Amino acid sequence: MIFNSLEFFFFLTLVFCLYWFVLNKSLKAQNILLLVASYVFYGCWDWRFLSLILLSTVVDYFIGIKIDSNNDKKIKKKWLWVSVIFNVGLLGFFKYYNFFVDSWIDMFSMFGYTIKSDWTLRVILPVGISFYTFQTMSYSFDIYYGKLKPTKKFLSFAAFVSFFPQLVAGPIERASNLLSQILNKRTFSYNQSVSGLKLILWGLFKKMVIADALAPIVDDIFANYSTYPASTLILGVTLFSFQVYGDFSGYSDIAIGTAKLFGIELMSNFKFPNFSRNVAEYWQRWHVSLSTWFRHYIYIPLGGSRVSKIKSVRNICIIFLVSGFWHGANWTFIFWGAFHALVFIPVFLMGRNTVYKNTVVAENSIFPTFTEIGQVLLTFAIVTFSRIFFRSESIIDAFNYINRIGADFTYQTYTHPLGYRMIDYYLLVILFVVYEYIIRKDERSPFKFKSRILRFFVYSIVILLMLLFFDDNVDRSFIYFQF
Amino acid sequence: MKKLFIKSFIYSILILCILEGYIRVFHLTKDFPTRYLDENNVEKWVPNQKGIFVLGNRRENFNAYSINNSGFNSYREFTPSADNVEIALVGDSFIEGFHQQYYNSIGKKIEDLLPDVEVYEYGYAGYDLADQLHLINKYKSQFDLIDHVIIGFKFENDLTRGKYEVLKDRLNLESQFNRNIRKIKTIVYLNSIGALDVPRGFVRNFLSLFSKKGNNKVELDKTPDPAIKKQSNGLYLENFESLVNTYGFDKSRFKFLLNSEKTPTSFLKYLKSNNYKYIDYASPLSQATKPTTLIYDMHWNNRGRSIIAKVIVENYKLNLTK
Repeated sequence: MIFNSLEFFFFLTLVFCLYWFVLNKSLKAQNILLLVASYVFYGCWDWRFLSLILLSTVVDYFIGIKIDSNNDKKIKKKWLWVSVIFNVGLLGFFKYYNFFVDSWIDMFSMFGYTIKSDWTLRVILPVGISFYTFQTMSYSFDIYYGKLKPTKKFLSFAAFVSFFPQLVAGPIERASNLLSQILNKRTFSYNQSVSGLKLILWGLFKKMVIADALAPIVDDIFANYSTYPASTLILGVTLFSFQVYGDFSGYSDIAIGTAKLFGIELMSNFKFPNFSRNVAEYWQRWHVSLSTWFRHYIYIPLGGSRVSKIKSVRNICIIFLVSGFWHGANWTFIFWGAFHALVFIPVFLMGRNTVYKNTVVAENSIFPTFTEIGQVLLTFAIVTFSRIFFRSESIIDAFNYINRIGADFTYQTYTHPLGYRMIDYYLLVILFVVYEYIIRKDERSPFKFKSRILRFFVYSIVILLMLLFFDDNVDRSFIYFQF
Repeated sequence: MKKLFIKSFIYSILILCILEGYIRVFHLTKDFPTRYLDENNVEKWVPNQKGIFVLGNRRENFNAYSINNSGFNSYREFTPSADNVEIALVGDSFIEGFHQQYYNSIGKKIEDLLPDVEVYEYGYAGYDLADQLHLINKYKSQFDLIDHVIIGFKFENDLTRGKYEVLKDRLNLESQFNRNIRKIKTIVYLNSIGALDVPRGFVRNFLSLFSKKGNNKVELDKTPDPAIKKQSNGLYLENFESLVNTYGFDKSRFKFLLNSEKTPTSFLKYLKSNNYKYIDYASPLSQATKPTTLIYDMHWNNRGRSIIAKVIVENYKLNLTK
């Protein structure tokens, strides 16, 4: 069951009605409903992997209690390590096992030894494993650092781990934020629900119009990159930048909006990263929940920026490599992470990694300055370049793609693989960028206009565009499900 | 809570109204010409209608049609005479050509290549051989004046019946209910872009949960059984003979326009051995380096139509030299 399906619409309506009309008097009953709904939601993909979620839930539930009940710091730490090893082990087996085996074999073959690949297993990657394992780990971390008391309410904890709006692709919530809301009574708020519905509409637009419309073009260019000139390859990776942003931020918006319908506030995951003025700002705006997770649970425990410059640089490298590796068991993601570390370090060394932390481009004016335009374009170009690694099937493909841009630096008009007018897509992207610029100050209010007529006009245009670019034949799954 | 539901409902209605407005203003969906059954029991379009035929979400294919006095989509009236040279193209939607500007049809392209010839296009979506021969038979006096009659032919579609009968299903599209539905452009548009397939599929899947058949789904083997194929080919041949015998077929003037790659070899042999002439467009179409059909369906695009026109003209010229 995916967010952009009719099945989900009926599922959500049913759960919403039961939640607020039937079970609204009992918090426990509401949490049980959320738990059952989440398991049904996940079970629609593959019910077999529900056991993994349950296992992860049980293990971290008890570890949380163990960490809290011991006063000895060493024992606390040991229990924390049990949680980390268990969750990372789970992730490692299902996500990275074959990668390590294959890499090991490849390494030996480089030295002339041939090893028969008896160790490779046909492991299926459970959807969302990277997200919920990180979320359960955050619970153990928060208890260990004394930021949270463990809950004795197992069902509520299970509902926190499996909360369906963000179960398969985030935002990766910290226990201190989400669990506390699940443990406390929620009351229906009209404004919160309306705000949720607006976010769902905006998320659907980003997914169905931006991501899905650009997908066939990007797929075609990356699949046939060896036949295209530089102009098309640059177009392909640029459109991929918008596709992946529309896809993932669209998912996040729907997740946040859906959670709002149940009276729960999730953290923002995307804050208009395309308007970032340097790479550091980009990482404060792109996949915020993951960046925050790494900062809180890896970067800061390693010393963060409060250690020597060399150690800080080391920490940055670790964070980006781990982040790259988190995305997938492929060298392309590790290169992608390494590239970001390389472009982040100079910004850090110049002390400019936090200068744009609390501001947005053209903070106090309608139009950006020329400097800001230059900064935004440069950052976008850097980030987009890195996406060649992110999107390519293999590291060889990525380098060949880059090599071809340099080798065949010519222009050729690109025609849509299905024969549609390309101008429609260019206009769509331009319109999208302009609209995002207009709403850039508040990622949680995509339709924040004072005039009711204007607001209604925007809704109607958004829905019209969803129809104009509707394609039932396109693969409607989300890119980040593979992570 | 009540407020949320009431406001959501009102907003949904308002959005639907404004969508209806957008679709009408930007002409995002097609007009529907009216069909009827004439005094000869021939199904055709009501004469003298004009409109726009639209395909694609963003009206990528936006073409005017013009139904002439004879009830067919053509830029010209059909006035055959003994003095002029005329070619009649009789066929289904491929000849009807709603997917093209009516003044850029196959017939017009042929006329551009053969300035002294008039081409009459008797095309109507869904026509099979029974419809085509029935039409020619009923308008015999008109067709007798036409020098060459080319009948668009698709073996797999056109021989499913051996006798002409009025197809009520097609005429039911003109029922009051269907006409009213067609007035709601949002429904027409959603249907044309496939958006209504989503709820239809959902309902189908949902209902299959309760049907016993749904629980014992067996994947059907799509490979045609050679025995069944042979049997149906035999039946098609019977139908062909029945139709030709019933409505007549002037072998000196009539020709089929077909794709030999999609027609059984045995049937092609039968045509040859019985002196039925045909124009084969398989090779020029398959040799085309660029697409010859539309994005949305298998109807010929402008390039495809030009190829077909050229094939017909070459055949015409070849016959003149013989």
